[in-house]
Amino acid sequence: MRTRIFSFVWVLRLVLRLGLAGLFVVAGVLKLDDPSRFALEIANYQLFPVLAPFVAIGMPATEIVVGLGLVFLPKLWRQAAATLLAAMMAIFLFAVSSALVRNVNIDCGCFGGSESPIGPWTVVRNVVLLALALLVVWLERPRRTDERR
Amino acid sequence: MRTFLLALLGAGSGLIVNTLRPDRVDWTVAIANATCNATQLTVPIETVPINRAAALCASSGVLIADARDAERFAQGHIAGAVHLPCSTPGALLDAVPRLLASVDLVLVYADTTDAARPVAEGLRNRNAMAGLRVAVLEGGFEAWARAGQACLSGPCPRCQDTDLGTSHAH
Repeated sequence: MRTRIFSFVWVLRLVLRLGLAGLFVVAGVLKLDDPSRFALEIANYQLFPVLAPFVAIGMPATEIVVGLGLVFLPKLWRQAAATLLAAMMAIFLFAVSSALVRNVNIDCGCFGGSESPIGPWTVVRNVVLLALALLVVWLERPRRTDERR
Repeated sequence: MRTFLLALLGAGSGLIVNTLRPDRVDWTVAIANATCNATQLTVPIETVPINRAAALCASSGVLIADARDAERFAQGHIAGAVHLPCSTPGALLDAVPRLLASVDLVLVYADTTDAARPVAEGLRNRNAMAGLRVAVLEGGFEAWARAGQACLSGPCPRCQDTDLGTSHAH
């Protein structure tokens, strides 16, 4: 029994995919603009600052790959992309919460920029995005009706 | 599984892109900067007394940097000093390396010797590989002014020269 092409679930899945994908691709592209600056921002979180340059190198590209994958790849790969997206959201959530709890001054120092500071709403936003990502993982689960792969 | 492969693809393409671009993150330098207990960085910052600073003042290759806030700088600063403001958007991060390009010694001063030290250390840590010498003015601006050395007032002229660019939107 096939579901109608415009079923609610189908629309929901598409909206979530496009929304999350767009968010991540844009975020990734913006970070690609100034990698050294981004590395400094990561280091300011005071969580294993030695890893900062590697994260700065890998994260924006991964965000773009995940975003594009979520839209364009076949089903099982989409689920993988959503899983990776959820994992990244979980990491962001941990980093932001950790910085808030420890009262780490993210934009401090004579050479830091006072950009958009993080706050409780950042945590809420990340939790919501994580939940949406997990929802997509669940929506993209392989069903018995998909026989092709 | 697939998730891991995607992560690998992301990390890999990031690495390739980083290697190819001119403004790449040099992770060897970045690691040195991040680990504050590297042996080269435990040497204390040199303090320079007023009379020696006065002699250095005019030499090219020496940059005098004011670490106080903009108001104090405008009220009175060492002649020829550059202002290192704490509240400018991150564009200054780009301007500072450019200012430092032709400089061997940066003399940082604040109101007191100790106030300038963390700024001097920060400058040195960020430029460890460039072999830049950073020193602190003994006694700060107070001592300089009391000794009757050359002072100017007004906003930082060299800050206007350098193109500080636009702040980054993230």
